[in-house]
Amino acid sequence: MATIAPVSTVMSNRKARFQSSPFRHLDPFLIIPVLIMNVLSLVMIYSSTKGKATLRGEAAFGDPFYYVKRQALFVMLGLIIMAVTILIDYRRLREWALGIYLLTVAMLAFVLTPLGSSVNGSQARFALGPFAIQPSEFAKFSVILMAAAYAAVHRGDMDVRRVLVVLGIAAIPLALVMLQPDLGTALVIGTIIIAVLGVAGVKARHLAVLALIGVTGAVVAINVGVLEQYQVDRLTAFLDQNGDTQRSTYNLEQSKTAIGNGGLTGQGLFKGTQTSLGHVPEQHTDFIFTAVGEELGFLGAALLLSLFGLVVWRSWRTAAVSNDFFGALLCVGVVAMFSFQVFENVGMTMGIMPITGIPLPFLSYGGSSAFVSFACVGLVANVSMRRFS
Amino acid sequence: MNQTRLRLSIIGVVVIAVFSAMFARLWYLQIAQGSEYVAQAESNSYRTLQEAPLRGRILDVKGKVLADSRIANVITIDRGIDPEQQKIVVGRLSELLAVPSKTLESRLADQRVSPYAPVPVAVDVPIEALTFVSEHSEDFPGVNAEPMAIRRYPNGSLASHLLGYTGEINEDELAARPTSAKYGLGEDIGKEGIELTYESTLRGTPGKEEFQVDASGNVLRSVRRVAPKVGHDVQLTIDLDIQRVAESALADAMASARTRRDITRADKFINLKAGAGSVVVIDVTDGSVVALASNPTFDPNEFINGIPTVRWKALNDPVNNYPLLDRAIAGQYAPGSTFKLVTAVAGLRSGMITPNSTVEDTGKYKISEQTFTNSNSEPFGRISLQRALTVSSDVYFYTIGGSLWSKQRRNESGGDVIQETARLYGFGRATGIALPNEAAGRVPDSAWKQRIHDARPDAFPYPDWLPGDNVQLAVGQGDSLATPLQIAMAYQAFASGGRLSTPRLVSRILDSKGRLNRENPAVEVGRVPVPGRDTMLAGFGGVVGSSTGTAFGAFGSYPQTPPSVGGKTGTAQVAGKQNTSLFVGFTPIQNPRYVVSVVVEEGGYGAETAAPIARAIFEALNGLPVGPVASLAYEGGN
Repeated sequence: MATIAPVSTVMSNRKARFQSSPFRHLDPFLIIPVLIMNVLSLVMIYSSTKGKATLRGEAAFGDPFYYVKRQALFVMLGLIIMAVTILIDYRRLREWALGIYLLTVAMLAFVLTPLGSSVNGSQARFALGPFAIQPSEFAKFSVILMAAAYAAVHRGDMDVRRVLVVLGIAAIPLALVMLQPDLGTALVIGTIIIAVLGVAGVKARHLAVLALIGVTGAVVAINVGVLEQYQVDRLTAFLDQNGDTQRSTYNLEQSKTAIGNGGLTGQGLFKGTQTSLGHVPEQHTDFIFTAVGEELGFLGAALLLSLFGLVVWRSWRTAAVSNDFFGALLCVGVVAMFSFQVFENVGMTMGIMPITGIPLPFLSYGGSSAFVSFACVGLVANVSMRRFS
Repeated sequence: MNQTRLRLSIIGVVVIAVFSAMFARLWYLQIAQGSEYVAQAESNSYRTLQEAPLRGRILDVKGKVLADSRIANVITIDRGIDPEQQKIVVGRLSELLAVPSKTLESRLADQRVSPYAPVPVAVDVPIEALTFVSEHSEDFPGVNAEPMAIRRYPNGSLASHLLGYTGEINEDELAARPTSAKYGLGEDIGKEGIELTYESTLRGTPGKEEFQVDASGNVLRSVRRVAPKVGHDVQLTIDLDIQRVAESALADAMASARTRRDITRADKFINLKAGAGSVVVIDVTDGSVVALASNPTFDPNEFINGIPTVRWKALNDPVNNYPLLDRAIAGQYAPGSTFKLVTAVAGLRSGMITPNSTVEDTGKYKISEQTFTNSNSEPFGRISLQRALTVSSDVYFYTIGGSLWSKQRRNESGGDVIQETARLYGFGRATGIALPNEAAGRVPDSAWKQRIHDARPDAFPYPDWLPGDNVQLAVGQGDSLATPLQIAMAYQAFASGGRLSTPRLVSRILDSKGRLNRENPAVEVGRVPVPGRDTMLAGFGGVVGSSTGTAFGAFGSYPQTPPSVGGKTGTAQVAGKQNTSLFVGFTPIQNPRYVVSVVVEEGGYGAETAAPIARAIFEALNGLPVGPVASLAYEGGN
């Protein structure tokens, strides 16, 4: 007995420590789908970029793994960022919210200066060594954090002034993003803020007025012709610098053809003709879903959508079970962000949403998008596992 | 808290709706509509390139090459590249090929090459230049160096009218050909002559190659290739040696005629114009065409890779007498005295004359207050059919025409026997030679005259068939029109003893290895009556051989030993123009083998210009040395 007791004591101590640790509540249904999606991402990026290795003048010339290697690096960094986001108690982030927010706004302003670089007609990034930072991606995270931090304080008491403050929090980065111009990210920020406002307890009539202003604004913009012209420019600018509207419908046709070509079980990995022959533009970034659709078919694409559904569901559930309102609002922001981005991105490849440049979280090639997506998942996992403490 | 849950639930519902929409759309694209997109993706990634086959050759009766195709190294420029770049590329090519930029630019601007097809700007490029272009392709965007089949006519303008030429297919031709023929834009097609009528034989079967391509259209690999099949060779009945003699005799006589006065003119200070003419040589035994010449002529090689606009305009300019017109089959002339063959046969058939019956020729013939005269009103006295043909008495044939008119007037049957005989002999309709644009000629009669009056009473005030009409018809004047080929075929029918044939231009089709594919047999259309043939042959013989014959002078140098020749001169009057000079004859007289028909527009009397041409051709046909050809002084008779 004597020999057994210390052991059992150690055991129970460990168990006790584990039971008291928030990591005990780390949600596997949130993290595992994300890991699967990132593995899938590397495979699909390889499939859609391996052909570039034969094209003179391409950055990937001579190296079919060029984009895969870079993305693998982004995923590594993203995992670290997620770990850091999980480790720091989200309640402390609340204190840092304003600082992070102001830093992001500063970066958004900076990118518009001549120091930022213009790609495909959009002044959206600045160089950092061999990589390009896209502050608009980080703006999504900052807006979630800032809006949740502010609204949580005034829970259940969202008067007009406070609603305007929340709108203002979104409006500053949104305006800067529109100046780039980047319609897609602006729409994401708009969706995030509406969801956060909604859950934060904005009065129904305020929401109605907001909707009215929004619709009126849209009608005026279209009639004046500003938005229409802008949209056309935007649609074509990110796809093809020499593009015209005919070119963008061509792209949409190619995108739908690639997905349709997948059928039930797909053409097989690396065997999609639309994918391997480069018919779909921007396929490793905004149109990565077409590669999944063509090569893995309905089964693969539906599985991918289900993984997104799982992440969104776990985030929504975390919002529902969170033990404080700040945590709940953070999760609502993440739900809104992921849902809208997946819907807009997948929807545009299938022709049910207009074409705007939004990456598919965890799937599209790109560092900034990966970092922010990991950070957001980290945020949800953070809230989720600390719901008992 | 409850309110928060409610609000969260609303968000949950929205999210579920959004995901459901995506699943539904995914199902629609991949499962419901999947097969359509699969087909679309298939056509997206494969391209079929058609390969034009090598065109078959055109050979003469002995196998000499009249047209063939060779493979040449050609540099083409794509019109799709932007003008700035194009300018630079043209500059570089100009330096490389040592050709002025202007030449390249004018070829590039040629509107007759379709905008989709690359424009060939330089043919027969040295191999070094080709290698340079392909090795420095980035400096020559839109430039391609490729082997290309080029049509070649090794004998230049020789037989050009009957050969025709090829050119890039145009939209009308594309629409006219069946889709199963699979003509592609930019492909060459026969435009005229044998090249057109035997297009499907000469062309061959296009091949195709299927490629997998990427989104930019870059070829990744060849999937499948069906080699094109070389076209068949078309062997003609034309004898290139005779053709050459015919063309040079025609050209020489015309040139010579232009140096001589038009003696029918009162002032006699105007030269003969002799601006155009034609020759037809027919093998009497089966109606095969031995030679078919038309002057002025053109070089079909000029049409290769697009004829320059200036040249095209020149070829269609009236000042140059329309060199593209094949006068042997499309020129329509009053046949003049050559038509007396028909009138004589008609007179004999109807019993109006017999081979021995005579007519008193006073040089004048009077009917219904109208007087018609012989050439220069020359009286020939009492003459028979044989002598009437030899001296070309008009009065003899006027008499037949006048009497037949009287028959018509009395409503007796057989009054239109001249017209009926003319039609039997093939006048008034196309002969059916295997060439495009053949003219039908005209056999005028009372119904025709009524018809044109009804159509244009102001231009044709007299609806009735007048005695003068029938009298004029009897000597091939008035409103009669015949092509040189029709005249030749009528004499062929007579000379052969009554076998009217379709002119045979193609003897056989050979495959690309020279094996017989099919024979093209002679086609006999029907029998024609040949009453008094011996008498008439003697009369035709006299034209050449008798000192009183109209063409005696023209054949002065022709040896009077067998094989002998016979024929008939013709001098047709044309309102507002100089006389048309005609001669049609055959050799040997007793058992004719060849018929030669010659027509020279504004060439004066038949004996002056046409007869010497025929003489040279007879010499060649009979293996005699061909003497110099010149227009001769007129000695009387028409």
